[in-house]
Amino acid sequence: MHHVVLDRWSRGGSALHRRDARAKTIAVLVFLIALGTAQRAFLPLSLFYLGILAAAILAAGLPIVAALKRAAVVLPFTAVFAAISLAAGEPMRAAALVGKSYLSALAVLVLVSTTPLPELLGGLERMGVPRYLLMVAQFLYRYLFVISEEAQHMRAALQAKSGTLKRTLWDRAKFGAAGRALGVLFARSYAHAEGIHQAMLARGFQGHFLTLSGRAFGRADAFFVAAALVIVVGARAAVEAWI
Amino acid sequence: MHIPDGFLATPVWATLDVTAAPVVGYLARRAQRGLEQSKVPLLGVMGAFVFAAQMINFPVGMGTSGHLVGAALLAYTLGPAAAGVVLTAILAVQALVFQDGGILALGANVINMAIVGMLAGYLPYSLWGAGRWRRQAIFLGGFLSLLTSAVLALSELLLSGVAMPAAVLRISLGLFVISAVLEGAITLAIIQALASINPDFLRQPRSDGARTLGWIGVAAIFLAVAGVAIASAYPDGIQKLADATGISSQAKTLLRTPLADYQLGTMHSVWVRKAGAGLAGLSLIYGALLLGGKLLARKRGA
Repeated sequence: MHHVVLDRWSRGGSALHRRDARAKTIAVLVFLIALGTAQRAFLPLSLFYLGILAAAILAAGLPIVAALKRAAVVLPFTAVFAAISLAAGEPMRAAALVGKSYLSALAVLVLVSTTPLPELLGGLERMGVPRYLLMVAQFLYRYLFVISEEAQHMRAALQAKSGTLKRTLWDRAKFGAAGRALGVLFARSYAHAEGIHQAMLARGFQGHFLTLSGRAFGRADAFFVAAALVIVVGARAAVEAWI
Repeated sequence: MHIPDGFLATPVWATLDVTAAPVVGYLARRAQRGLEQSKVPLLGVMGAFVFAAQMINFPVGMGTSGHLVGAALLAYTLGPAAAGVVLTAILAVQALVFQDGGILALGANVINMAIVGMLAGYLPYSLWGAGRWRRQAIFLGGFLSLLTSAVLALSELLLSGVAMPAAVLRISLGLFVISAVLEGAITLAIIQALASINPDFLRQPRSDGARTLGWIGVAAIFLAVAGVAIASAYPDGIQKLADATGISSQAKTLLRTPLADYQLGTMHSVWVRKAGAGLAGLSLIYGALLLGGKLLARKRGA
């Protein structure tokens, strides 16, 4: 599965990987706000921001072509609206939609591919996001692959039993079969959850996850946030002053 | 429909983020109180289930197929508060890991799908889920949850000044209705299967009181949907009506402000102040939320 790639990327050892999750989160938020509110001289600014992100990807030792491709998942959605804007005679808005959505996705990709998800969620918890919500997200991500694999098996079984789709308008029997398959998947997921909880209790779960990394917000992290702020906001001010 | 970053005007996403944060905090607290400790893994695994459920295709005919979205289904099985938390977690993981939906736009997506859409889906079930109209209520819930989310997303995009001609608007509304019917049918099929496996999977709908409130909710949803439909079909009609009643000037400035933001070409350093004010505002809100949460937690602890 393709998101396993992200797990591998996020476990690198570069300077960017070693920064505290909070520092990287703040930097990305600043980037997203500076990009999202940009109005003038958008083309040179977006090129400059693309350069910053590309430099970050290279510094983190990530495969740049693969990263640029991955961020392109937003483009199909954006393309529809960009086409509508073009047809409505607003080429600049179309360019802004494509540029902003792509660069935003790329910035988030840099964040998650230099920070393992448990660490990122831990950072968010220390920034005040409700722990309960983050624990649900944590479990969701951990069991995504397990449940997805079961769904794949069920899909294979369903296809083996009922053959390919008939080209009728509405096949009630097959619709019901898919519904029952999901009902069974639901029941199995429920049973999984109970087993998981008992296993956790057996190992002494106290109500919150402990992370092993034990990173603290150090001087390097403060410097990183300051540098990101200066570069991102400074770039926008410079570009808008000159052009 | 997950809105990516870069689509919504700053006032729109900022307002929705600020609205979503306390609501999600409240839902998390409520879900935590309402469920025993063992439900934490359950909520996570149910989120994984909704992700995985998208792999099972429901044949619609003509070689096309649809899949479950799941807001109403989660509300029926976990209750509205827990469903809101699970859906928010799903949206967060989708935005972070799959770049599906934006980070600044997360508040908008949470409001559309995890909160308003989910509640719209739960409403008919809580009203008529126990009685003779149970099947219809389940179908209607799936239908309403998807349609409400989609219409909200569409209106946020329109409010942000994303250009959409009337024809495009009509086509997308038509597509929304079709996918909403599909979601209703899929939800019903799964709920029936669940009920035959183990009826305890479903939460018993409340049959006591609060009917009037429910009716008002349903009416509001229909009014909103009908309003957007009419507005898209007769843009001139709305304009004329507004002229006649004299609210035209206010409505125009309201509608144009986010749009105008994009075209302010002559102001040089205004954005510095604006961005500064925005950042300061955001950090103030963040501080207020953090403080409020801490105080609330202390009060509860005492």
